[in-house]
Amino acid sequence: MAGLELKNIQKTYGKVEVIKGVDLTIEDGEFVVFVGPSGCGKSTLLRMIAGLEDITGGELYIGDKLCNAVEPRDRSIAMVFQSYALYPHMTVYDNVGFGLKLAKTPKDVRDQKIREAARILKMEHLLDRKPGQLSGGQRQRVAIGRAIVRKPEVFLFDEPLSNLDAALRVDTRMEIAKLHADLGATMIYVTHDQVEAMTLADKIVVLDAGVVQQVGSPIELYQRPTNLFVAGFIGSPKMNFVEVTVEVVDGDSITVSSKDVASLRVPATSAGVKVGDKLTLGIRPHDLVPANNGAIVGRVSLVERLGNETIVNLELSSGAAWLAVLEGDQPLRVGESLALAAEPAKAILFDKDGKSLLAPLS
Amino acid sequence: MTASAVPALKMQRRSLYPGWFYAPAAVVYSVLFLAPTFASLYFSLTRWTLFDATFIGLDNFAQFFREPFLIQGLVNTVIYAVITSGLKVVIGMMLAVMLTSQIMARGYLRSVIFFPVLVSTIGVGMTFTVLMHPTLGMINQTLAMIGIQGPGWLVDPKLALFSVALVDVWKGVGLATVIYIAGLVAIPKDYYEAARIDGATKLQNFFYVTLPLSRPATATVITLSFIGGLRTFDLIWAMTKGGPGFASDTVASVIYKQYQAGFYGLSTAGNVVLFILIAVLVVPLTMFLNRKQGHE
Repeated sequence: MAGLELKNIQKTYGKVEVIKGVDLTIEDGEFVVFVGPSGCGKSTLLRMIAGLEDITGGELYIGDKLCNAVEPRDRSIAMVFQSYALYPHMTVYDNVGFGLKLAKTPKDVRDQKIREAARILKMEHLLDRKPGQLSGGQRQRVAIGRAIVRKPEVFLFDEPLSNLDAALRVDTRMEIAKLHADLGATMIYVTHDQVEAMTLADKIVVLDAGVVQQVGSPIELYQRPTNLFVAGFIGSPKMNFVEVTVEVVDGDSITVSSKDVASLRVPATSAGVKVGDKLTLGIRPHDLVPANNGAIVGRVSLVERLGNETIVNLELSSGAAWLAVLEGDQPLRVGESLALAAEPAKAILFDKDGKSLLAPLS
Repeated sequence: MTASAVPALKMQRRSLYPGWFYAPAAVVYSVLFLAPTFASLYFSLTRWTLFDATFIGLDNFAQFFREPFLIQGLVNTVIYAVITSGLKVVIGMMLAVMLTSQIMARGYLRSVIFFPVLVSTIGVGMTFTVLMHPTLGMINQTLAMIGIQGPGWLVDPKLALFSVALVDVWKGVGLATVIYIAGLVAIPKDYYEAARIDGATKLQNFFYVTLPLSRPATATVITLSFIGGLRTFDLIWAMTKGGPGFASDTVASVIYKQYQAGFYGLSTAGNVVLFILIAVLVVPLTMFLNRKQGHE
């Protein structure tokens, strides 16, 4: 098994800069998820690690080996494609064993490895079928089988669940997590679905416009986002934002207010912040609770009652649209006024450049 | 009205309406294909002129198969079809692989390859007859310059049919290439990338990915060029008129000669034989080529 080291990795297509100097360390055996919106460069970065795209600048190490100019087959990687890329004219057996056949692995060893992979993925009964005779989930499993049979040091997954229906996606996600636990291999996984990222990753890399926005554990990204982009991207439903004005600046907190928010004292680093500054206040929908004297008041514009929780769309007096996820079934009506309180410790302030003003951890 | 009667009634009404949309095609098909086919089936059983027809049963067919040079024509036709379709598949595939890879002047080269398809067959035949002249032709003169005595391309009875087949391939390979290019660009690049990660060389890519996944294109090229080869007439007529002797005669050229000589019934019987020959060879061939492969 091997870790990876990316040093100032860059990719340009002509004059267009797609990856703008990525530095990243991936430990041996770690499950790392690249997440970001469409076009952020996450798939390109994965393909550069795979060797399917040339690296314009920087250095890529897999294990201790500089791999910039190394052919994909010599990088000790295996990749699961979004389309699965199963050869339609070959049986599952031949698809899984294709890489071994090319590597001239003796037939009996090959057979043993294919059957072992099939056993791990519980697909022994599918070996004689062709991909056209399989369901989406089964194809996904074959694609993973093709990867594990080669015993690579690094597994690369390019949005592997996006062609599956919602229920199957959850099942396959759990299978991939289990596979990682069983194999202990380094895995890099690309997705735009932040729920996949949160549930699978040891470490999430959030990318936007070819730049790494933040690297950290899922909970770290959720609780302590470094900027507005990460705060908005991680968490479902996404964080609520509203512009506020600074009223009071203390050493370790800032009191803010606005048309929508009555005075709220938020723990924050206050360096460089002065009274009258405009900041952005972010509060997650799950951190809001109904309270008669709550700091945030809005008009209910939509109520989604899911039984265990109620999702309320609110329109604040400035016109900002907020979401609140309230516990249990809340009998709210559209049009009524709702006051919400937020635990100040869970609110986050962002400066005018979008950088979070989180107080340092004590 | 019972519940089950409702859908039945709807089905009946529905089945009549779309029928009108088939009607124009059915009329055209009947007038231009079915009527002449059945008429020629009938006339093949007669001795006919423009003014009358005498029913003579299967005499025309009996005479057709008694003539040894007609049998040679049949054999030549099959040889010609196999050679031309085989070469078009191999060369067409090679050219398509080249013209879908990253090479210079790709668009220009694609046009150049396709250009002969657009030229009149008679024009091509006449040009190559001149080029293949045993002493004055450019091909043999070029060979002579490097010390090789060129063969009598069109005058050697053993070679004439193959020479015409080569010209047919030169003229028709552009179409095969275009069909293959369409087939090759439709293969998702994920397959090649997956193979690349698995360590496939370019040659292995070709044999494990390109060749099997371009089977629909291969089936189309084989079918089209095989039928074209079986029906061939114009190029043969323009280059050798079936000669020397009957060495390069095909069924179609024999039929034409009989027609010219006034044996209308016999030539019609020849056409029926050609029709059956094509059907007997091509129907199982296409069934084999298009058999299900578990593709999506």
